[in-house]
This record gives sequence, C-alpha cells and structure tokens, in this order.
Amino acid sequence: MKRMNALFGMAVLSAALASLTGCVETAGTTVTTDHTTGSTLVLEDSTRLKDQVQIQKVNYDEVNGLKRVHITLLSAKHRRLRLNYRIAWFDANGMEIDPSTKTYRNLILEGRDSVTVTGVANSPAGVTSKLRVRGLESAD
Amino acid sequence: MKYGQLAMTGVAAAAMLVTGCATTPRVREVELDRAPISSKLEPQDVRRTVEKMAESLLSAPGVRESVGGTRPVLDVEPLKNRTTQHVDMVSITDSLRMQLLRSGMFRFVDKSTSGTDIEFMDAQANLGLTDPKKAIKPGQQSAAQMYLTGALSEIKTQVGRTVDQYYKFSMTLKGLRTGELVWADEQEIRKESVKPRMGF
Repeated sequence: MKRMNALFGMAVLSAALASLTGCVETAGTTVTTDHTTGSTLVLEDSTRLKDQVQIQKVNYDEVNGLKRVHITLLSAKHRRLRLNYRIAWFDANGMEIDPSTKTYRNLILEGRDSVTVTGVANSPAGVTSKLRVRGLESAD
Repeated sequence: MKYGQLAMTGVAAAAMLVTGCATTPRVREVELDRAPISSKLEPQDVRRTVEKMAESLLSAPGVRESVGGTRPVLDVEPLKNRTTQHVDMVSITDSLRMQLLRSGMFRFVDKSTSGTDIEFMDAQANLGLTDPKKAIKPGQQSAAQMYLTGALSEIKTQVGRTVDQYYKFSMTLKGLRTGELVWADEQEIRKESVKPRMGF
C-alpha cells in the first residue's frame, strides 16, 4: 500500500512539473505617459522582469505636430537581455489609435547598460503613450 | 501475470495517445509580432520596418521645412527588391502609404492606378451613361510634388552550419521641383540560424 501511495505521489508530481514547464509569463512592465498633464504611471506586473529592467527616465516632446516619447530602460543584470517593446498611442478619449500599426520591436540590452526607446504618435490626436516591455520568450 | 498484461496494455494505450492518429495539422492563431522562426524576411520584420520608416519620416524636421506648413502631394513608388527572395514589395509600399495617409501630413496620388482613372473618364465621356455636366474631364488631377522611393538589399554569409542573413531597407523622399532629397533613412535587420547536426 505504501508503495502504491509513493507511486501515486510521484505521478502527481511529474504531472505538475510537466504542466509548469509549459508556462511562459507574458506579463511585463508598462509605462503610461499623459502628454497633456505630464504624469507617468509605471506598472511592473512581472517580478522577473522587474528584477531585470528598470525605468530610468521618461521624456516627451512634440515634433511636426506629433507627440513623441523617449523612455530610458536600465538593465539591472550583468548579462545581455533580449526584450520586446511596443509603444501604443491613445487619443483624448482613451481610445487606441491604429493598434495594428504599432508593432513589438526587438531590444538588446547589454549588462548594466541603458537604452532609450523612442515612439512617435501616428496621428496628431495621440496624447497618451503606453510602452509595454516583455521578455523575448513571451513572443511565442 | 495479470499485472504484467495490464501494464503492457497501459503502455500500449499510452504509446497510441502519444503518437496520435490525427491526420489534420494543428492550427492556431498566433500574434502578428511573433518570435522569428527562420532567417528569412518575415512579416514581423516588414511590420517593424514600415512602422520605423513612417515614424522617422513624420518626425524629420526637414520634411516640415520643405512643405512649409502645407500638405504636399506625395506618390509612393514600389520599393525595389534586390534580394534573392520573393518579397511582395507592393504590399510594403501600400502599408507605408496607409500609415503616412493616416498622419494627415501629406496628400497622396497613386500613379499605378492612372490607367483605371483614364478608363473611368473615357467611359463617362463616351458611353452616354453619365450626365455630361457631371462627367470628370482629364487634366484636373493634382500633381505629385514629392515621391518616396527605396530598395531592399541583402547579404548572406554561411559558415559551416551557421547562416547569417543581413537585410537593409533604405528609403528616400525627393522633392520633384527642386530635385532635393528631403529625407532618407534605413532599417537594418540581421538574423542568424544554425542548422541541426542531423536532419533531412
């Protein structure tokens, strides 16, 4: 009986391990900047990414009548990090402008280095930017 | 003996489950910006390039200076494909035009559909179906003041099992009246793939 219990326990453990290995965290860090008020909100939903990348600086300006945002990311690790990022734009009513045209771009961050990513609104109506950073393994 | 038979049946059933007997491929939708699956040019590379070029063009200070606050008429020429791959360059051009059009900074003409314009005008003038006062006559279309052109080139290097593929999109915006290059930019993409030691 004891042997059967042990076997059953091992089977359950194996099944649990097998299901866990298939999990990839797709949550990341988001930086929302309101260009009319200048307020910035940083949300770090992934504990793993939070330990790897920090948001160092957020700047914004306007060029040719379009809003532009510069966000500086700092690596907290000594090794090279491979990330994806996307900058989406929203109008004054909070609706996303042309979501399909804003893509995830690659970003390679060297150890303890900082990189500034830039996004330009695709329409003069864009007043709020939202940067989303995720690990490359989340890209499927 | 009975335990042994049961175990054998269990193993056989498990083997059948693992190998599967389905003949249809497994299909699922994936996100547009998925991770690369080959060293060739992939849709996500094209999407990123179009976005980068549109952002660069819209934020370039020289463009605003040359248009002087007006919305110039622009034509987008299909990019030239200088690679060994088949790439739908017209589709890339269409995507870029769409992004620039939505910015509201330019007005657009499309030289590639001029033949269809002539067909419509010809039909309106000659078939007798259209009110002659309302028929559109040739010679009234806007003239392109600028045009956007570019090319895609590649460098492929193979060392052993490693294939290094480099792509470069380069684009320029030229003013037709002055002949000056108003804007130019390029997007580089570099991919590496390693072939397996064994395989067919």
